[in-house]
Amino acid sequence: MPAVRSSHLVAPFADRLLAADVPALGVVQRAEVVAFVGRRVDGLPGFIRLGVTGVAAVFRVLLPLPGGWRIVSALSRRPLPLLGEYPRLVRSLAYAYIWERWPQTPTGRGGA
Amino acid sequence: MSRSDAHAQVLVIGSGAGGATTAAVLAEAGLDVLVVEEGGWVEQGSVVPFSLEQMDRQYRAGGVTVALGLPSIAYTEGRCAGGGTEINSGLYRRPPADVLARWAVDYRIRDFDPDELFAIADEVERDLSVGLRPGAATPASEVLRRGADRLGWQNDEIPRWMAYPPDGNASQAHRQSMTRTYLPRAERAGARIEVGCRVDRLELDGPRARAAHVTHADGRRNTVRFGDAFVCGGAIQSPALLQRSGIRGHIGKTLAVHPTVKLAARFADVVNTVDDVPVHQVTEFAPDLSFGGSASQPGLVALALSDHWAAFHTAMTDWQRISVYYAAITSEGRGAVRSVRGVRDPIVTYRLTRRDRELLRSGLARLALVMLEAGAEEVYPSFRDAPVVRNRADLARLQDRFVAGRASVMTVHLCSTVPLGEAEGITGASSYGKVHGTDNVWVNDASLLPTAPGVNPQATVMAIAIRNARRFAASRSARG
Repeated sequence: MPAVRSSHLVAPFADRLLAADVPALGVVQRAEVVAFVGRRVDGLPGFIRLGVTGVAAVFRVLLPLPGGWRIVSALSRRPLPLLGEYPRLVRSLAYAYIWERWPQTPTGRGGA
Repeated sequence: MSRSDAHAQVLVIGSGAGGATTAAVLAEAGLDVLVVEEGGWVEQGSVVPFSLEQMDRQYRAGGVTVALGLPSIAYTEGRCAGGGTEINSGLYRRPPADVLARWAVDYRIRDFDPDELFAIADEVERDLSVGLRPGAATPASEVLRRGADRLGWQNDEIPRWMAYPPDGNASQAHRQSMTRTYLPRAERAGARIEVGCRVDRLELDGPRARAAHVTHADGRRNTVRFGDAFVCGGAIQSPALLQRSGIRGHIGKTLAVHPTVKLAARFADVVNTVDDVPVHQVTEFAPDLSFGGSASQPGLVALALSDHWAAFHTAMTDWQRISVYYAAITSEGRGAVRSVRGVRDPIVTYRLTRRDRELLRSGLARLALVMLEAGAEEVYPSFRDAPVVRNRADLARLQDRFVAGRASVMTVHLCSTVPLGEAEGITGASSYGKVHGTDNVWVNDASLLPTAPGVNPQATVMAIAIRNARRFAASRSARG
């Protein structure tokens, strides 16, 4: 299976999610976290990476549309493998990074 | 290993609890042993336990591996010298005697004598300095004991394989993982250990394997010729390698795990212990269900709160008063490991049964009750749209809202993908681990366990691996 790089597809969603979940995070910090999430996604085992890439591509297309964030949020809540778990994956990677690197980061309102 | 092809009387693939013990036993019996390990050798203390750096250096895929299903189950695998023993919590439980007896009958395992296995466990416990933690337990561990005691529920402290300094300072303990114990023993007895060396496939000539095709971390490839091969890559990688090598049979079809669900609990006082994990376990409902504590660094607390972040996020500022706990079940579900030609990683799937889902639901509610009894101010279950639990009345809401498909289910115990025994159709290897249909390919790791044992499986894996390796060494010695 050829190496599929997904980080550029994941970045817009991860950035939007973090802006909503952790608004106290500065732009530079957020970019650092998004880059970390991208690296980890690129390192996923083959089939999982392929699935994540597919979901990320769909989300990337939807996000810029009017009401795109609401659609993406609704899709994320579907109990389907990968679709519902994609935001969970991004969150878990991002949160683990944020609070390991900056344990005193204040939280904000949010949640897709 | 030199740039040219290598040779060994016995090739051991993988260096975790199964591979390290196999290598030590065989090398000490005078056999020429080569151990190949896909990951690197990471000295203890050079990385912070449960940190992202550790996940990068010692876990497969940075710790992000998942068995697909509804819900999918996140799992972790060690990928380093010492395997999972380098990254786990160091907890130790002997295999339950009734489980061993059931395996022997149901899977027709020859000479599977619990007394022999327990005698081996005695040796392992001496070798690994298995014992209780000196001094007082951590506050996060005390929570489990206190909550269970108030409910009148059975609980105990799980022994660990740790070497404590003479002054009993538990924070200065050294984990007696494989890189500290059985791998050095194997080396002292003459075994060679090659890290950063992945076995892509075994080359077979009929039932006999002749060589392993390997790729080194620097991209170099060569071949290792051997007399016998012991595949000890764990319950995911071992069946995947056998499948990639064209070995059929009951391989990778019956993955068994201990699925866990989690919660975070906030107390009035500081309970979070960033450099250790709780050692108490609530066993009132074992083996179906048990409760314990997880690593609770701030990043992991945030992760536990992430399933309902909109409602739980404010708790994060109090992470020092929060610790994370799990409810683990002995699942009746099964999963599969499937390799596809040309693809490096296998597809892993797992299916929970209805009974499993109910156990996860009741387990999480009972664990929340333990937390309340221990004095938790608020409990945050890890599933989407979970309620904050503040009193017993909230437990009904937790149970009502819980759906396994919304939960963060994970596991660190994987086994049973090449069950041992003579029973046709349900075993992948003989009573001593030789893969059915082959002459010289052996499995000697968690894959051999017929089912999930209901306790931390490392002790069981080590006892069975040593038993099998001794039998193999004796047979080679008898042949002269």
